[in-house]
Amino acid sequence: MERRGTKRREVSLTALRDGETGTVTSIKAGHGRGRGRGWGFEKRLMDMGLTPGTKVTVVKSAPFHGPLEVLVRGSRLALGRGMAERIFVEIERE
Amino acid sequence: MNKKKLLIALAGNANVGKSVIFNYLTGLHQHIGNWPGKTVERAEGTLHFKGYTIDVVDLPGIYSLSTYSLEELISRKYIAVERPDIVINVVDASVLERNLFFTLQLMELETPMIIALNQMDIAKKKGIEIDAEKLEKLLGVPVIPTVAIKGIGISQLLEKAVQTIKKGPIAKHAKVKYGDEVEERIPKLIKMVEGAQFCYPPRYVAIKLLEGDEEIEREVNRINPQIVSTAKKLANEVENLHGHSCSTVITSERYEVAGCVAREAQKLVPPIEPTIEERLHTLTTHKVMGYPVMAFSLLLIFYSIFTFGDYTSELLSGFFYEWEPLFASLFGSEIVGKLIWGGICEGIIAGITIALPYILPFYIILYFLEDSGYLSRIAFLMDNAMHKIGLHGKAFIPVMLGYGCNVPACLGCRIMETQRERLLAAFVTTLVPCAARTVIILGLVGQFLGIQWALMLYVFNLLIIFVLGRLAFRTLPGESTALIMEMHDYRWPHLKTVLKQTWFRLAEFIKIAFPLIIVGSLAIKLAEVFGLLEPIATVLSPVTVMWLGLPAITGITLIFGVLRKELTLVMLATLLGTTNFADVPGFGPVQMVVFTLVAMFYIPCVATIAALVKEFGSKKALSITVFEIAFAIILGGVALRILALAA
Repeated sequence: MERRGTKRREVSLTALRDGETGTVTSIKAGHGRGRGRGWGFEKRLMDMGLTPGTKVTVVKSAPFHGPLEVLVRGSRLALGRGMAERIFVEIERE
Repeated sequence: MNKKKLLIALAGNANVGKSVIFNYLTGLHQHIGNWPGKTVERAEGTLHFKGYTIDVVDLPGIYSLSTYSLEELISRKYIAVERPDIVINVVDASVLERNLFFTLQLMELETPMIIALNQMDIAKKKGIEIDAEKLEKLLGVPVIPTVAIKGIGISQLLEKAVQTIKKGPIAKHAKVKYGDEVEERIPKLIKMVEGAQFCYPPRYVAIKLLEGDEEIEREVNRINPQIVSTAKKLANEVENLHGHSCSTVITSERYEVAGCVAREAQKLVPPIEPTIEERLHTLTTHKVMGYPVMAFSLLLIFYSIFTFGDYTSELLSGFFYEWEPLFASLFGSEIVGKLIWGGICEGIIAGITIALPYILPFYIILYFLEDSGYLSRIAFLMDNAMHKIGLHGKAFIPVMLGYGCNVPACLGCRIMETQRERLLAAFVTTLVPCAARTVIILGLVGQFLGIQWALMLYVFNLLIIFVLGRLAFRTLPGESTALIMEMHDYRWPHLKTVLKQTWFRLAEFIKIAFPLIIVGSLAIKLAEVFGLLEPIATVLSPVTVMWLGLPAITGITLIFGVLRKELTLVMLATLLGTTNFADVPGFGPVQMVVFTLVAMFYIPCVATIAALVKEFGSKKALSITVFEIAFAIILGGVALRILALAA
């Protein structure tokens, strides 16, 4: 969707720059290897407030591909990178 | 209502000051144990108020009432089945929206409740002002503002709780209203479940069925599988309408309600200058600066625990051993005297000199780190490194502490969220060479083969931890490890709560560990007194001599090592009659390395086993123990053959 030069794009949460905010569109559970990477995580993330339509701000990430620090619904969370990769957000960029 | 005994449950998110309120209410009349058959901690206490005897149960800190974790399931069941006279929902005023999400779920359980709007001071610092009366009106639940760490509002809270109970059957709370697509479908399910006897209210069952809650589905299935399939059909309809799963839709809408209530009840005026807490957060999680700050803090902690521990331990054992001659004169130095002193007394001494000096400061510091919020920052920084062994950031603390002593380290594993993570962390921790094993490594290999060999053993140990950690991570069933952790604002911990938590957990440890330690040392002493050690060494010789290539007497020393690891070296010196191990025939460099390897891995000491029993139950403690014995023996034998080839 084009609108005055800004583009809406759906990207993984890990693609956000420090300080950038996006709107959660979906959590892609069941990706990746290993058992148990399904329902539990998705539910847990949503219980912590990461439901579709929620604004989430990436504050920073820990070095060496560490976890992300995010602000969501007034609380500060640390999310492991593997999990953050499965959270998809919509962003507006110039 | 003229009941004289009341039951109050405290419920709420983690880190909202629940335990501080619990400690204010119950003082020293509390008991900390586990939920029956579970390894989730259960804190209970009693208080007297206006002629009532009130039992208070502190439910685990959780974010939701789904079935993600054992804690959530236990809390939900407790509220529904035990039916406390009232639930005090402790809410963090500084993160109102997320906390209300939990409050709404409690309301859906239709339990009598009041809200303690806690941490009003922290909220104020963040520029959040909350209209408690408005909140009360919006939710239809009494709200009492509190600042628990200063004791503000606690008596009003208790007053209100008793008042609300006395008023009798509650007026209905405001209903959580979902979108039309969901609301239309709820009555259909309510009608189906209404007749059946559930411990949960019908509307709750209906909503949970739409959410696909496994526990509820199981229960409903027992009565009528038809209902579950209808619920699945209805949930599918919602999914088709929304493009998200029905569970997602319901959670989102519940959060919307929480958001609406929060926005209406609070005013937000963020401070212009970042607060001190905010700056401290930025520093301690900084990409570069965060690490030196962490290294410094941890070294300081490590140093203070073990200086305090060593000093006190020595002081205590010096004090106790002064009584030995008196004992000898009382009971003689014959069998009875030997058994009483060597078995029972030395067991108790070992327990006291390990438990008190190290575990006491450790617990205090651990709770201090956790309550202040620094622990979560360390986990944030170390998450990536810990993932290499299948754990996440929080496990760094127990694993690091393992280098000092495995006992407090195992106990510290409870900071992990799930049972699986706790067990994994504890398993890895028992492989870490503690101070006593360091004595063996340095005293034997370091002394006689050179420090570079000792260092190599440490590196090898890390490698084994890495491999076994990953292996255990892959084989243990359950959810894999990932970090979803709140980093709450820094705050000063409530000292009294920290001290009480320390005291009650220490008492619990002593209760479980001491009998085990005493029985263990008595058994070994019995074997010694009755001359069974030599035969045992002979029985063990196929393993020690044939497979490991060690002198037969090492079998005896390894048995003593079960009591305290450093005893393996002490006993070795005693039995060989020399401390210059290099002179002993048949105990060359290769044997030294093999012996040290086995001693490093073969079994956690009896106090560590006791800690494992306390945290995970005897079955898991036994399997870890048996595994490590087998592993150490196999490893030692393989090492012997490889080293022999190289030599």
